[in-house]
Amino acid sequence: MKIFASLARGSLVAYTALFFAFIYIPLVLIAVYSFNANPINMMTWSGFTTDWYAQVLGYKTAITGDAFYVESTDQLVQAVFNSLKIAASTTLIATVFGTSIAIALYHFDFFGRRFYRVVLFMPMLMPDIVLGIALLIFFVNSGINLGLKTIIIGQCTFLTSYVFIVVSARLSGMDRTLEHASADLGANEWTTFRKVVFPQLLPGILGGALLAFIISMDDLVITYFIAGVDVTTLPMFIFAMLRRGIKPEINAIAVMMLSFSFVIASLGLYLRSRQK
Amino acid sequence: MLTITARRRAQLAILLGPASLFLAVFFLGPLAIMIVTSFLAPGLYGGVEWTWYPHNYGRILGFADPMFEEFDPVYIAIFLRSLKIAALTVVATLLVCYPAAFCISRLSDRWKSFCLFLITLPFFASLIVRLFVWVLLLRQTGLVNNVLLQTGIIDRPVDLIYTEGAIILGMVYVFIPFMFMPVYASVEKLDWTLVRASLDLGAGPIRTFLRIILPLTAPGIAGGAVIVFIPALGNFVVPAILGGAKVMMLGNLIEQQFLAARNWPFGSALAMMVMSVMLVLLFSYVVVSSRRGLDAAPGR
Repeated sequence: MKIFASLARGSLVAYTALFFAFIYIPLVLIAVYSFNANPINMMTWSGFTTDWYAQVLGYKTAITGDAFYVESTDQLVQAVFNSLKIAASTTLIATVFGTSIAIALYHFDFFGRRFYRVVLFMPMLMPDIVLGIALLIFFVNSGINLGLKTIIIGQCTFLTSYVFIVVSARLSGMDRTLEHASADLGANEWTTFRKVVFPQLLPGILGGALLAFIISMDDLVITYFIAGVDVTTLPMFIFAMLRRGIKPEINAIAVMMLSFSFVIASLGLYLRSRQK
Repeated sequence: MLTITARRRAQLAILLGPASLFLAVFFLGPLAIMIVTSFLAPGLYGGVEWTWYPHNYGRILGFADPMFEEFDPVYIAIFLRSLKIAALTVVATLLVCYPAAFCISRLSDRWKSFCLFLITLPFFASLIVRLFVWVLLLRQTGLVNNVLLQTGIIDRPVDLIYTEGAIILGMVYVFIPFMFMPVYASVEKLDWTLVRASLDLGAGPIRTFLRIILPLTAPGIAGGAVIVFIPALGNFVVPAILGGAKVMMLGNLIEQQFLAARNWPFGSALAMMVMSVMLVLLFSYVVVSSRRGLDAAPGR
């Protein structure tokens, strides 16, 4: 029986190792092959090169003759720039909206609180495409030109929910006795909020904002429907490249994006774990 | 007293007003317009005509507009295929996550949080990049085919990409955190003394699993199943990248109706089909879990 138990445990551990291998080995492989010099068959190793990275960053290389990428470096930079602009604005708006709703639902008891909760959970459960087309129909019918503005509005509708949920979680974990103590000691509501509630809430707000920023940078489906013809974001740029046919440069872009988001996410998760 | 109530009311209005107005206009408004659109007739050159027209749903369900077309079961076939792929995705994701959740829940606290970190990390990386990785692995000149050819297992590249299997694989890959977290939450809460008692009282490992472990972790499994099934059903990116033009799902069909065919009412009707499946699922989840006295909210 004991042998049986340890055998079971052993196979469980092996399974879990496979589980992590399934998640990470593909990512490691693409990182390795992004340095592959083979321009035709990307997954057949023919030597080490950093040319693809150089090319993405706009440097002249030996393979530039292919002229696929040179013309679109500007487009890539533009797409990154658009994504950052959108993410910065949506993060700001969604953080204000999400936080104020969370505070209102926590501090006040009023008719329709449950309704707010349902509405705010909806975008997280709905398939993206439904919200995407609903917004498209709405914008076109109301005569608003599609572009940066509509992307920002559209993303705020669901990013507000993410911020709301993160901030609400923080609020419900907060110590209310401190508020009562502050009120008993003579502080008025505003002072209590500023000096007691807000500092406790700040990590939640920052966490929500970081999440909103990351999701905004990565959103493809909703943005895809309401972007119009002139504006391209980074995920849309890559999606379009994938549909046209795969070139080694995408590999380099992919690895750079992966490293960027892993660094940001690790930083965020590390900060959160230190607060506990 | 009155002034205090008035002040609180003003505070509430400041906190809720702008955000409520925004969500009412740009979230609830568009959804309402989409529902209305799904009952309108498509215009000849795109656009809509303001007449009652239930045949958008009819095209899918079997009562197509008798003036213009015969009923074609192709749409219901796509709908059923999407249901099937989403269901298989749920099963596969569960099979991948469930044993790992058990293993990780028995680790020391340090290792536990490290493993949870590793599982949540990919969630923050770009979705499209994570799917692109599988294109590189699965396509005809991809790594898997290369390895199989070189080792002599096959002598011609096999079709791995642009299949239902590829779509399911891609979905499992991106939905792992969605399934893992709720399952893990209920596995970690599992009372092992009950398991030991069951074994001591003579139940075999299989019976203990079926009668004790599975029912106790069922809430997590149900929660994970719901939050994987819904986005899988309406998914558009995964089939667009890994299914190509060969395997069409509801999401691609909707995209086609909006950006290529320009039949918005029909596209809206398709989206409403996705929404109704979602509402039925959520409703039954809430009913079942509240009857069992469990948490109603699916955990993230």
